[in-house]
Amino acid sequence: MPESCFEVGKQCNADPSGEYGYIDSVYCGSGVDGAGLRCVVFFSGCNLRCPFCHNPETLFKAGEKTTAEELVHKLKRYKGYFKRGGVTLSGGEPFLQKAFALRLIRGLHSESIHVCIETNGHIADAELLKEADSILCDIKNQETDDLSVYDSFLNVCEKIGVEYSLTNVLVPGKNDGAEKLTALALFLKGHSALNAIKFLPFRKLCMEKYEAMHLPFLYEVFREANEEDIVFVNDFLKKQSTMRDIK
Amino acid sequence: MSKEFKSGTYLEQIDVRNFIQTNYTPYEGDASFLSAPTKRTKALLSEVERLLQEETEKGGVLDIDTERVSSLLTYPAGYIDKEKEIIVGLQTDAPLKRGVNPFGGIRMARQACEAYGYKLSDMVETEFSYKTTHNDAVFHVYTDEMKAVRHAGLLTGLPDAYGRGRIIGDYRRVALYGVDALIESKTADKKKYSDGDMDESRIRTLEELYKQIDFLKKLKDMALLYGIDIAKPAQNAKEAIQWTYFAYLAAIKEQNGAAMSLGRVSTFFDIYIERDIERGELTEEAAQELIDDFVLKLRITRQLRTPEYNDLFGGDPTWTTESVGGMGEDGRTLVTKTSYRILNTLYNLGAAPEPNLTVLWSENLPKAFKDFCAKISIDTDSIQYENDDLMRPIYGDDYGIACCVSAMKIGKQMQFFGARCNLAKLLLLALNGGKDEKSGVQLAPKGESFRGPLQYVAVRKAYHTYMAWLCKLYVNTLNVIHYMHDKYAYEKIQMALHDTEVERFLACGVAGFSVAVDSLSAIKYAKVTPVYGESGLICDFKIDGDYPKYGNDDDRVDQIGVELLKEFSDELKKTPAYRDAKHTLSVLTITSNVVYGKKTGATPDGRAAGEPFAPGANPMHNRDSSGALASLNSVAKLPYEYCRDGISNTFSIVPSALGENREEQAENLCDLLDGYFGQGAHHLNVNVFDRDKLIAAMEHPELYPNITIRVSGYAVNFHKLSKAHQLEVLKRTYHARV
Repeated sequence: MPESCFEVGKQCNADPSGEYGYIDSVYCGSGVDGAGLRCVVFFSGCNLRCPFCHNPETLFKAGEKTTAEELVHKLKRYKGYFKRGGVTLSGGEPFLQKAFALRLIRGLHSESIHVCIETNGHIADAELLKEADSILCDIKNQETDDLSVYDSFLNVCEKIGVEYSLTNVLVPGKNDGAEKLTALALFLKGHSALNAIKFLPFRKLCMEKYEAMHLPFLYEVFREANEEDIVFVNDFLKKQSTMRDIK
Repeated sequence: MSKEFKSGTYLEQIDVRNFIQTNYTPYEGDASFLSAPTKRTKALLSEVERLLQEETEKGGVLDIDTERVSSLLTYPAGYIDKEKEIIVGLQTDAPLKRGVNPFGGIRMARQACEAYGYKLSDMVETEFSYKTTHNDAVFHVYTDEMKAVRHAGLLTGLPDAYGRGRIIGDYRRVALYGVDALIESKTADKKKYSDGDMDESRIRTLEELYKQIDFLKKLKDMALLYGIDIAKPAQNAKEAIQWTYFAYLAAIKEQNGAAMSLGRVSTFFDIYIERDIERGELTEEAAQELIDDFVLKLRITRQLRTPEYNDLFGGDPTWTTESVGGMGEDGRTLVTKTSYRILNTLYNLGAAPEPNLTVLWSENLPKAFKDFCAKISIDTDSIQYENDDLMRPIYGDDYGIACCVSAMKIGKQMQFFGARCNLAKLLLLALNGGKDEKSGVQLAPKGESFRGPLQYVAVRKAYHTYMAWLCKLYVNTLNVIHYMHDKYAYEKIQMALHDTEVERFLACGVAGFSVAVDSLSAIKYAKVTPVYGESGLICDFKIDGDYPKYGNDDDRVDQIGVELLKEFSDELKKTPAYRDAKHTLSVLTITSNVVYGKKTGATPDGRAAGEPFAPGANPMHNRDSSGALASLNSVAKLPYEYCRDGISNTFSIVPSALGENREEQAENLCDLLDGYFGQGAHHLNVNVFDRDKLIAAMEHPELYPNITIRVSGYAVNFHKLSKAHQLEVLKRTYHARV
């Protein structure tokens, strides 16, 4: 696999035809990665290097070379479970392997399988967004206050009309303060998306993976978020929705 | 204004199914009609809970009657609290007091008494010194080879020292027809059979019919001890439940079979309940109260067992299996309000392992019912699911499940329970040229001992040779057991509640399935080299490289499993079974996967000597790492065609992986069951909980007295399991999305 895939900020041009791509793994059976029961395809390679990344293996490992057809063949065996569910493309960043992702989605659609793409929202590729049935975008405000990249991303989504929902990993001590939350609320209001966000509690279950890869886990110092933290921020956001013109 | 039942062919001949089909009312609505427990139910429940607590404190057995031998008329009437009970009848004269049943074997009865600090009375000892028990008789005939494989644990759990069980009497017949009509019918059969040459089979049938009639009379007398005359048909719901319960009670007084299952009574009861409600004689609350009281009785069913037995079947199970739901052959659902009512006992009386509530799942079940079942699983972990769409075409729509996964037409089919063979140990036997890998005893004909890196084709060939040898020996051993059981411990009341012309199955089984399959996969795809101990036997294996593991929806290994089952099933059929029984096969271990593991040396898949197997057809612990659905897909590939006695899969998923809230979780669980069974899978035990909860329960049992979990085709109270069983449960895969 070409190095470019693992260089921050560069798109992967592994295979322009999309005949094959690189994935880390396929996990068959999740009730929490979009509607219904889902299989999740973890793409290898990411354009970001978030210090709290839960899947570091997708950042630094080359992944397994596979064709879209092979994956479709494997995933269609789960059609019986996909009443309301389907396949979620995750990673890593699926948008980095655009041609491959497109081919995979079209293959899954020919089997009438619903496809959701989970993304960091930094690559607003209209062609790919048009092909997906739904988008799950993670807003990363832990290390930055600049949310403009998500503005452009959601603008494209809205223009196309693709259904999207948002997540945000809540790291106590990082992004659970009033300032961060107010900014987030403001951003969400701009997209009438206050109800579209779901806070995911920060967890350190991935530490084992970092250890196995001999990488430092920089967020070790932060505590895990609990149920109360989540309730608190949800309430905070709810209050924001009833307030008018906070500026 | 009294509404009579619609008539049908059931009036001319014994045919409970026809009565159900012509009279039942399918229910497609939701659970909102259900009633909470009454004050009376709660009071009785608290008395039962007190007794259960006492039983636990006394080490698992509250009391034993060592003076008498359990049968229908042995004990005077017994009550929990006579004033409060609606449905009456206990196994002995006091609740949770266990009777002794030495017909299967006096030694086991004696040891069981001693294990709990009792002594079997001299009277019983003397009486049985003049009797041949089933156990005595089997050992009179067992060959040296049979004894050796039994001793080594190649065949284990054989029902040669206690009742064989797994027979479901059609207990509903007593309610529908009354005992007198049943006696009349059997008497007519006996007369018919009297005509002809007296060969061995005819004489045996005639003697059995005599015994059946004799015990039907005793059944009537047993009910009279409680002041109730069951000679005539039941007239209302309360009587229908009471009559049916008496018939079941007679069976568990007479027999101590491992699994004494109930059958499929809910929808049958519903007909009486709905009629009473329509007549204005019963309210919903009173209807639920009847079911609650009935279920409370089933929950305190007990048999006296030895500690060794508990090693095999942990948690003191009785497999009072009740099959609920399913679809009719005409397309109407067999779900009725009473299907809801019986499941509702898990809320009204709290979660509990017995009765073993088994939902017959069909894609076409009413959506509301599916949702209700899924929520019960999430809340209580107390029910199991079996594929009605798979079984109905074979067994019709009035079959029931005996034990965990054994289907049979109620009152028309029975089985000879055959326990199981240890497939993993058999592989080691093949690699050691027919020697037991632990003792070094030459159990099977001498073959070549494998040296150097194992070659798949050669191993497979040797495995087949020894499998053929063992299957023949296995069927012959079972033939001895069941001949003797029929002769010395015949199920008189249960067989009286079957048609006289009954179809029989010889139910064989395998254990260590995933270990055997992964071992073969390792040999095929990695490099496996045996390591030899001082005795010259293989004591370990060196594995270089990785191999595909069963439980990841990988055909390379899953197909090895499919072939193995077909091969085993084919081999069994080559040896004729006693009484022309049809050979069937199950992939089921109960909790014996722990003991089997203990008795099996290191295996080529990398499992260490003594480590537990996975239960039933489950993938080996934590090797199914591709997700819950991939694990299910692997098991779903195992063909029911070769495993007509059932394929058990115990599945644990953490709530947070199943869905974000209870509604989502329930919907996803329904999708999961539809997807799994839609592929022709047979059975699923469902647990929805975190591993942490069980660890907490292990450390502080007093805080979690009622944790019920599904283990392998049945449920147990977690704290009743031995430490070894608890640890094995903790080792299992808990599907999560990390």
